[in-house]
Amino acid sequence: MLRINNLVKTFDGERRRRRDSKTPSAQEARVFAVNDVSFTVENGQLFTLLGPSGCGKTTTLRSIAGLERPDSGSIEVADRVLFSADEGQKQVNVPANERGLGMVFQSYAIWPHMSVFDNVAFPLQVRKRGERLGRKEISERVMRVLETMELGHLAERQATKLSGGQQQRLALARALVIEPPLLLLDEPLSNLDAKLRESLRYELKRVQRELGITSVYVTHDQVEALALSNAIAVMRNGSVVQLGRPRDIYENPNCRFVAEFIGTSNFLTGNVVAKDGDRYTVNTIDGRLALDSAMTLPLGTDVIVSVRPEAVEVSTTSRAGEVPNEWKGTVLTRAYLGDSLDHVVGVGKHELRTRGNPSTSIEPGTEVYLRMDPAKLVLVPVD
Amino acid sequence: MTTASPAVSARRGATLGWLRRLLTPKIAIIVVVAGLIGYLALVPLYYLIWGTFFDANGFTLGGFARAYGDPRVGDMIGNSLWFAVGAAVLSLCVGTALAYLNVRTDVPFKGLFFAASIIPLIIPGILYTIAWIFLASPDIGLLNKLIEPIFGPAFFDIFTVWGMVWVEGLHLSPIVFLLMVAAFRSMDPSLEESALMSGASRWQVFRRVTVPLTRPAIVAAVLVMVVRSLESFEVPALLGLQNGIYVFTSRIYFVLRSYPPDLAAAGALAVGLLVFALIGVAISNLVGRSGKTYQTVTGKGFRPRPMELGKWRPVMGAVIVLYFFFTVVGPLLVLLYTSLLKFYQAPSGEAFASMTFDNYRQLFDMSDAMTALKNSLVLGLGSATLVMILMAVGAWIVVRSRIPGRQLVDHLSFVPLVIPGLVLGLALSFVYLRSPIPIYGTIFILLIAYCTRYMPYGMRYAVTSMHQISAELEESAQVSGASWWQTFRRVLLPLLSPGLLAGWIYILVVSFRELSSSILLYSPGNEVLSILIFEQYENGQFTVLAALGVVMVLTLAVLVVIAYKLGAKVGLRQD
Amino acid sequence: MNTAPLSGHRCGRPARRALASWSALMLLLAGCGGLPTATAPQAAAGGGPTAAEKLYAEVNGMTGQQRRDKLVPLAEKEGTLDLYTSMTSDVADAVLKAFEGQFDVKVNLYRAGSETVLQRIVQEQKAGYQGNDVVETNATELFDLNTEGVLADYDSERRRMVSEAGRQQGWTATRMNLFAPSWNTGLVTPDQAPKTWEDLADPKWDGKLAMEISDSDWYLTLFKYWEKQGKTDEEINKIFEGMASGAKIVKGHTVQGQLLSAGQFSLAASNYSYIVEQAKAKGAPVDYLPYVQPVIARPNGVGLMKTAKHPAAAMLFTDWLLQEGQALLVKQGLTPSIVEGDDPLKDVEIIPIDVEELTKNGDEWNKRYDQVISNGEQVDGN
Repeated sequence: MLRINNLVKTFDGERRRRRDSKTPSAQEARVFAVNDVSFTVENGQLFTLLGPSGCGKTTTLRSIAGLERPDSGSIEVADRVLFSADEGQKQVNVPANERGLGMVFQSYAIWPHMSVFDNVAFPLQVRKRGERLGRKEISERVMRVLETMELGHLAERQATKLSGGQQQRLALARALVIEPPLLLLDEPLSNLDAKLRESLRYELKRVQRELGITSVYVTHDQVEALALSNAIAVMRNGSVVQLGRPRDIYENPNCRFVAEFIGTSNFLTGNVVAKDGDRYTVNTIDGRLALDSAMTLPLGTDVIVSVRPEAVEVSTTSRAGEVPNEWKGTVLTRAYLGDSLDHVVGVGKHELRTRGNPSTSIEPGTEVYLRMDPAKLVLVPVD
Repeated sequence: MTTASPAVSARRGATLGWLRRLLTPKIAIIVVVAGLIGYLALVPLYYLIWGTFFDANGFTLGGFARAYGDPRVGDMIGNSLWFAVGAAVLSLCVGTALAYLNVRTDVPFKGLFFAASIIPLIIPGILYTIAWIFLASPDIGLLNKLIEPIFGPAFFDIFTVWGMVWVEGLHLSPIVFLLMVAAFRSMDPSLEESALMSGASRWQVFRRVTVPLTRPAIVAAVLVMVVRSLESFEVPALLGLQNGIYVFTSRIYFVLRSYPPDLAAAGALAVGLLVFALIGVAISNLVGRSGKTYQTVTGKGFRPRPMELGKWRPVMGAVIVLYFFFTVVGPLLVLLYTSLLKFYQAPSGEAFASMTFDNYRQLFDMSDAMTALKNSLVLGLGSATLVMILMAVGAWIVVRSRIPGRQLVDHLSFVPLVIPGLVLGLALSFVYLRSPIPIYGTIFILLIAYCTRYMPYGMRYAVTSMHQISAELEESAQVSGASWWQTFRRVLLPLLSPGLLAGWIYILVVSFRELSSSILLYSPGNEVLSILIFEQYENGQFTVLAALGVVMVLTLAVLVVIAYKLGAKVGLRQD
Repeated sequence: MNTAPLSGHRCGRPARRALASWSALMLLLAGCGGLPTATAPQAAAGGGPTAAEKLYAEVNGMTGQQRRDKLVPLAEKEGTLDLYTSMTSDVADAVLKAFEGQFDVKVNLYRAGSETVLQRIVQEQKAGYQGNDVVETNATELFDLNTEGVLADYDSERRRMVSEAGRQQGWTATRMNLFAPSWNTGLVTPDQAPKTWEDLADPKWDGKLAMEISDSDWYLTLFKYWEKQGKTDEEINKIFEGMASGAKIVKGHTVQGQLLSAGQFSLAASNYSYIVEQAKAKGAPVDYLPYVQPVIARPNGVGLMKTAKHPAAAMLFTDWLLQEGQALLVKQGLTPSIVEGDDPLKDVEIIPIDVEELTKNGDEWNKRYDQVISNGEQVDGN
């Protein structure tokens, strides 16, 4: 559906002129916004570009939209080449307004001088003459989309007089009205409050699934990414560091950056002291850990063990000898989160965060035993 | 569009694609607009540079020697800068404060703002200045007479640099007001409210949030005001010369007075002005550049809510009334009073007894008066509309496009600001007397002159507005499938319209006053109102002149009201 | 010759005229020297006399009714007259009305300050554009126009009645502007009023006397006059310094007159008598009589264009202005150049502006006058 190959985008001239002229050479001034990014999005999937700000995710999205011109690489949507600038290939750069994609902007970019109806009708009204729909058809389609977004009753209202959630839905309606093959979403939920964000997240998922529309979603919020996506590409410094299904990425981050970025994690540094098939034994400052990993690492390798809070069981009783990986510690604080309860437990010099059923609540200061399931511990190579 | 059919050979396809890409409406419009801006700016600039640096024997710097060899040149530059910066600062403070009060607070007497923002612009500079002489001269000033019992005689002295700053600053403050109103209207109040919630006082909010956010507008305003004051002539001529205070323009007047006019020296002085202006442009680019931070019109809706002034409301009300008196009522009363007299005299029973409508009668008997009014209207409406259309596109090129050399368009549009009106007149007559385009001796040459002269103001208004519109609003239209022109017309123009309208009104109003190039370029039948003003002035008919001023104020006030009413129907609705 | 675009050396060919205005830009880009060059006016280019000049020559020899009879049908056939003038509009309106009433000739009037009239004609002539047939303006500008070689010879009985100073090559004086001190009668009693020019230097006028910023011709003429009277330069300079000391400098005679009426100052050194006379007629508290003598007269004159499109009308207008027009000018409060019958100024000593000196060394005198008034300001200063 969407195929991106070896996309590269640098900011050199632009950036250089703005800063100072002290930069010694153009080569050094080149900043890779997007560095050799490739991925494919299957039909009907919601694909997320996830990463911290400045990682290149928005630039990638804007390149797909046609708002940025990449230096090289290619972009194809539904077998139509939208951009291609590889050497030896035919140069193609379809302008943004001819790509026929839908996009929701971070700020929604609702035109403040138009009504709700006019905002949504605009993409239909500006079509090329031959393809333009009649007034009645436009009106019907706009109203249909507005109804889907539950905005039908607000059609005549001035766009600026909508609440935040309504504006978000309006922006979505406007992006969907042309029934685009691909929907681009640039952090569409980042401007909303937490409660609204959550409800709109599911709303978004519902609409996406119902319409079966292929989407590319940009966010820096890993919860959003995990909840919405069929596939996630984690980006850093312009490159994709890991690409996979949400579960894979969460459970098997391929580097500390991903592990750190996706969900909360405890990191324990150590080195491999024994290996038996998939079962590794790692020595850390605070004790030994047994864990399973498919990676092949020689003995003595420095590694990081990522321990998800929910992979740690807290107990006031010891089962030492029965199960591997039991450590002793002291509860420092606890936090009730409604559906779960976190303890922060001091072990040696470190603190470990644990997450469990709220029925287990232990006073701070109590001595406890931590048990970590070897199957849930993740071995992460040192960067 | 570049996905050409494979049947065509690759090279031909490439050439065709290339050609087709060049011939899009977008490129065509951009090229035409940039070309027009360049043409309008370069014709007089070329003439000026030529006249400055070349004489019959080739390259020379003699003009500079003559212009700057004068021992008083240091004083002149000092006075010029003092005057220009002073007037700019005064107009900035007054104009910004008023715009803020008007747009953002529940200040009383909002109705007065409209008059206060327009009328001083309409009153011809010469009348405005003379009105102030009658008000604040140490010898005959009415205000001085009024407060003499308390402060002693000659408390105000208008014939000083401070007096010049005062008159020019007040006369210019409406321009700042118009620029800043547009800026404040399009700024999200939540940005201020959040600062208020952070515990900042109102003053802190204004200083720490509002001012930085409207910085592009402020920078533009300062720049225009400084240059405008540098090239202002009436105020320094009438107020400065009496005590020998010279500025650039009065020196330029001197060197152009002789025959043949010393274009080289005038040019050298104008080049001096150009240098100051360029420094100003450079500074403003430096200060106002980090674009995105200041885009305050975003796609997120906002409802401008007036801030409650509370206990300060009556105080601010009093300030407004005072300002209104100083800029509008005072000068206008003097004008009205003078227009009813046979000759100017201080108010007395005798003076009031002698009042007549003779001056108005004389005005309507004047054969040219109606032609002149019509021509001025045509030229004012024409040049305001043309300039704002051109500059809207020009501003897009400067602010939004990534065309290399786009800043040049900005700089070019600025050039006419420093070209003395007479030099512009000479340049245009020189060119069009030799051009096959037969516009010499027609009204069109005046139109070109006006478009050239007011291009810099139009550009400032348009660029300021453009800076404030978030790029995403434009991009979302693009992604929605709108072509460049559709985006421009349906999204940008309406969003720009408050700023464009302000610029349009400004140009309309000041074009009625343009004299220095009109006088050389008009031809019989193409008289404009400013020519009539000049004639009445030359004739010593101050009383008729005052009557003319009153008629002009009324005419333009009506026009501006209509413009505002029409303008309110498009663009950002203001509640 | 410091002003290439106006006085330009002639490296241009007539074909240049045909180039579009873009050519100027092209040349700018090309960095070519020698442009914008002026195309020479037709006559001055060295060709034979123009059609207009031939007519002028023919009519110059004629007199009386025969001359009129020759000109009127020709002029009426031409139908229009293009006049450039610096007459004030009230005077010009009266002149036009009378002329158009008498002959079937429509007058197209361009009116501006004398410097502007000069600039415009020079610009047009250099481009070979026939904008006007006749020009009526100040002596200085007419002198410059004659130097540019665009004015034709004119002769008639009426011209010979003008005083010698008013019979210049290329132009003929039609009226005089008189420079005389004037005062506010509310602030100056008749016995306080100045009697001589030297009186203006009296310290009692410090802070009360106004001088006009561009009256260097007045300065020059008075200076030369005093030189002839036997005063040394030092003495003369001292008098002017005395005047300038504490003087209020004003731009424009009109403003000067207005502010004098309003009482902004008590005494104006060199205003035109007619401006004061007009104000006086309206009841303003100002006066200039009895004249401080010698009265300094700046002639205004009329000149025929070599390139006139309507030469007969131009000549008719000139004849008329020197004949019927003279009475009309008197009615407008002006001083005519031809005095017939009772001369109201017969006991007044009038000296004309030294036009020749002004044209030759005008810049020099301008600078000296600037110096004089700026010295005044320094004495006054703070």
